[in-house]
Amino acid sequence: MRSGTITRGFAALVLLGAAPASGCNGVIGSGGDPGGGTVNDRVAAELCVVDTPIRRLTRFEYNNTVRDLLGDNSNPADVLPPEEEVAGFNNQAGALTTSDLLVEQYLKVAESVSARAIGNMDALMEGCDPASQGSDACALSFIERWGRRAYRRPLEQEEVDRLQDVFDWALTDPDLGTFEDGIQILIEVMLQSPSFIYRPEYGSDTPVEGDVVPFTSWEMATKLSYMLWNTMPDDELFQAAENDVLLTGEEIAAQAARMLEDDRAKDTIRNFHKQWLLLTQLDSLTKDTSVYPAYNAGLRPLWEEEIQTFIEDVILRGDGSLETLLTADYSFMNEELANFYGDDVLDPVTGTELQRVQLDPTRRAGFLTSAALMATHANLNQSSPVFRGKFVREQLMCNTLPLPPNDLVIEPPELDPNKTTKEQFEEIGADPSCASCHSLMNPIGFIFEHYDGVGQWRDQQNGKDIDAVGEVVQTEDIDGTYDGAIELARALAGSTQVQECVSSQWFRFAYNRSVTPVDTCSIEQINERFAASNFNIRELLVALTQTNAFLYRRAVDVGQGGAQ
Amino acid sequence: MKRISRRRMLRGTLFGGTVAIGLPMLDAMMPRRSSAQDGAAPKRIVFWFTANGTRQDVWSPPASMDLSGHPMHASLAPFSQKLLFLDGVDQDVAYDSIGDGHQTGMACLLTNAEILPGDLFCEGSCDGATPLYVGWGGGQSVDQYLADEIAKDVVTKFRSLEFGVQVRSSSVWSRMSYTGPDQPVPHREDPNQNFNDLFGDLDTDPFELALIRKRRRSVLDAVMADHEAFNKTLGSEDKQMLDKHLQSIRDLETRLDAAGVLGEACQEPTVVLPGSSYQQNDQYPVTGRAQMDMLVMALACDMTRVASIQWSRSVSNVQHNWVPLRLGEGHHDLSHYDDNTSDAQADLLEINKWYSEQFAYMLGLMDGIQEGDNTLLDNSVVVWVNELGKGNSHARRDIPFMLAGGAQGYFNTGRHIDFGGESHGKLLVSLTHAMDKPVSTFGVPQYSQGPLSGLT
Repeated sequence: MRSGTITRGFAALVLLGAAPASGCNGVIGSGGDPGGGTVNDRVAAELCVVDTPIRRLTRFEYNNTVRDLLGDNSNPADVLPPEEEVAGFNNQAGALTTSDLLVEQYLKVAESVSARAIGNMDALMEGCDPASQGSDACALSFIERWGRRAYRRPLEQEEVDRLQDVFDWALTDPDLGTFEDGIQILIEVMLQSPSFIYRPEYGSDTPVEGDVVPFTSWEMATKLSYMLWNTMPDDELFQAAENDVLLTGEEIAAQAARMLEDDRAKDTIRNFHKQWLLLTQLDSLTKDTSVYPAYNAGLRPLWEEEIQTFIEDVILRGDGSLETLLTADYSFMNEELANFYGDDVLDPVTGTELQRVQLDPTRRAGFLTSAALMATHANLNQSSPVFRGKFVREQLMCNTLPLPPNDLVIEPPELDPNKTTKEQFEEIGADPSCASCHSLMNPIGFIFEHYDGVGQWRDQQNGKDIDAVGEVVQTEDIDGTYDGAIELARALAGSTQVQECVSSQWFRFAYNRSVTPVDTCSIEQINERFAASNFNIRELLVALTQTNAFLYRRAVDVGQGGAQ
Repeated sequence: MKRISRRRMLRGTLFGGTVAIGLPMLDAMMPRRSSAQDGAAPKRIVFWFTANGTRQDVWSPPASMDLSGHPMHASLAPFSQKLLFLDGVDQDVAYDSIGDGHQTGMACLLTNAEILPGDLFCEGSCDGATPLYVGWGGGQSVDQYLADEIAKDVVTKFRSLEFGVQVRSSSVWSRMSYTGPDQPVPHREDPNQNFNDLFGDLDTDPFELALIRKRRRSVLDAVMADHEAFNKTLGSEDKQMLDKHLQSIRDLETRLDAAGVLGEACQEPTVVLPGSSYQQNDQYPVTGRAQMDMLVMALACDMTRVASIQWSRSVSNVQHNWVPLRLGEGHHDLSHYDDNTSDAQADLLEINKWYSEQFAYMLGLMDGIQEGDNTLLDNSVVVWVNELGKGNSHARRDIPFMLAGGAQGYFNTGRHIDFGGESHGKLLVSLTHAMDKPVSTFGVPQYSQGPLSGLT
């Protein structure tokens, strides 16, 4: 399918320059004015090919990579400066900057990782014995073999030569001198190489049209592994690269499907959902225990584990559908968590291990009503219709809500023991200056009023029955009145706006960049496949490996960059 | 690992005082000097950031400068003659710039430059149809300018030190230092890591240190050779980024030798470290104190001459549970109440009073370190900055700027000056003069025509 032919699926759309602002991405960036630029620019735009800036490993990816490269589980990259967070994710290629501090810490991380690595020389040498086979021979084989895994491609001869010089220096240095010293220095140097820290992509030498080139099999192996596993390729991917069989869409899709069966896919699924569902905020959550005696800080990691285990189960072992994620009547709990959820849990649970439990389907629906989300999007001492409505709008429907005007003075309601939270927020929301924005959020939040500020079910508040009716307005396809989160969850699951929002979130996370106007055709292609699979997240991930945006890039122009 | 005790050290002279120098003294351990006169202690500059504006109605000192009964600054009373309170200094450039109040307040604060256009950070009034995005800050910040200039005279262990206290995120809301347009500088936020990075060497046998440095130099040489070949293969935008990466490696190598310069008071500081919980809200005071302890010692050891400590970030929503609060909400939430909500105003006073106490703690540490006839504080200027003047209006006017120390008498301290609406760019110009690296304008020239008058 690839070599020679290239899909021209939606070129007409692009050439019209139509930039439908679907949800929160809008269409941003400098990806192009398809009408302008050179002939090659126009060809690339027609083919929906958009380059991504060079990617640097995130701390998460670095940690996973040294785990797979060296069996080092110490998460050494945690000491690096945090990634820039842009468009909801911390892996956006264009946003990651470099700094003196980063470089200084790379040096120290490389020192500690390499020092630990030589603790297991047998694993590094894979049978080469310097005593019998000679240290130079074993060093050379290490450079070529280990270097290929560290750089995720075969080394150039010049690189091998340079690394051999490094080894020679280490071996003749009066203060070093042992074979182990030499190997340690080699690892130290290679871990600071841009070929390890960054993920450069050049594509093959032969354009299919204009300056559009397919990726090499080695590059494709790395693209797939970091996208689907957030780590380096495994032996099978490396073998496929070696055999040069990561060239066609079919070959790539088959690898993607295989990879989603592997445990490493969990890392990516969790990483995505931690950021998309704002689970990062759980760490800094505080609650007023005089209002919520059931709460203790130890629940936070349990809540996170519950929602993550559930999501992972649905996507990797279950039917994978968005609908199940939003509406399932089961979850994973241990005894402590089951006690916290109380009557909502229909199965008996004992022990500290999480186990699958049946939930009361009139009270709980998928991740949406989980304590992790309900407690995060709430205040210290009460639920927050504003935060919950904002969460649904921004994260699930990809709306970006305006912030309050610069000079607006905000007065959140104080606890009134005679009113429900809904009654208080209805008073505030009626203020015309607030209503224009808060009518988008508060009524959605009211639908979640059965869940208190820590996510426990309640039928009453302050002696009054809970009223969980809210009206959803200004959506593309689910305007209407809903009574309770179960109803809303079903509507969200069937909403095209939500489905397309989910696919665009995955697009940004998987491609490490925002959507540009040139991506319209890729987005359409992804959404079609997502829909055809009944909104199966696994199929969505495979679809993301099939667009021209993923399969091609433009040949690198070193003309301007040039040699120094 | 072999170690020798610091107690077995010889004494020599540096900055006009006695210093402990490891035995044997290595040539490599002495700083290279050009402009700094032998025997004279260097000037240092420290930026100190707190967020969300202040209680402008309370902030100013009395005419007498007696702070002992001041509702916010009583703890600064012992240093009142070393302080300069600046009223009526505005971030004019922030009103020209794209970006919301906090974004501009932060990114323009030390740059006096407008925020760059870009597609990175959503500005307040975004929606699906007409998104408004901004990029990073648009110019070099004054601390980084000074670090560059000072680096031409002397090689210190660190070009500059940016300490953070629970800054946590990396965005245009959380970065005030920029090495250039679009080049934000991250913070050192983990006190445990800082302790190793800054003071790990002090305890190490000089012979062993020399070996470590030699090894690092060789490793970095190999890494640089690799980078040079690699960078040539890249397109222009990627190459720009990787060239900056390479420049940082070169700089790191240059500074390897600078490690181990010892001032008189220089020693491993006694620090209470918060452990792995340094990012947890309730560890904020402990983390802050550890960072201050180490920052001051880094200055005493002449590891750098340019530093900053940033408490949280703009829009900080730290819960200051350790001071008596009535509403008990996060800092940013509290800062949004109107002026008549007395409980919120009381809480804001408590929070800013607590920061004033922290400021006093650090000034106390600096003033307790004798360098010849002066103290470290006298030899420094510490600049308290804030992205806003007032939280509920997001006013970037009348920012609560305070100078402490005076940079070896450059500033005429012990005073309160109301400028009645001068541009803050002029303050940045003043700071370049104070540090003997004068410029005539800094950032946008329109808002930085020369130094503020009357400070010296």
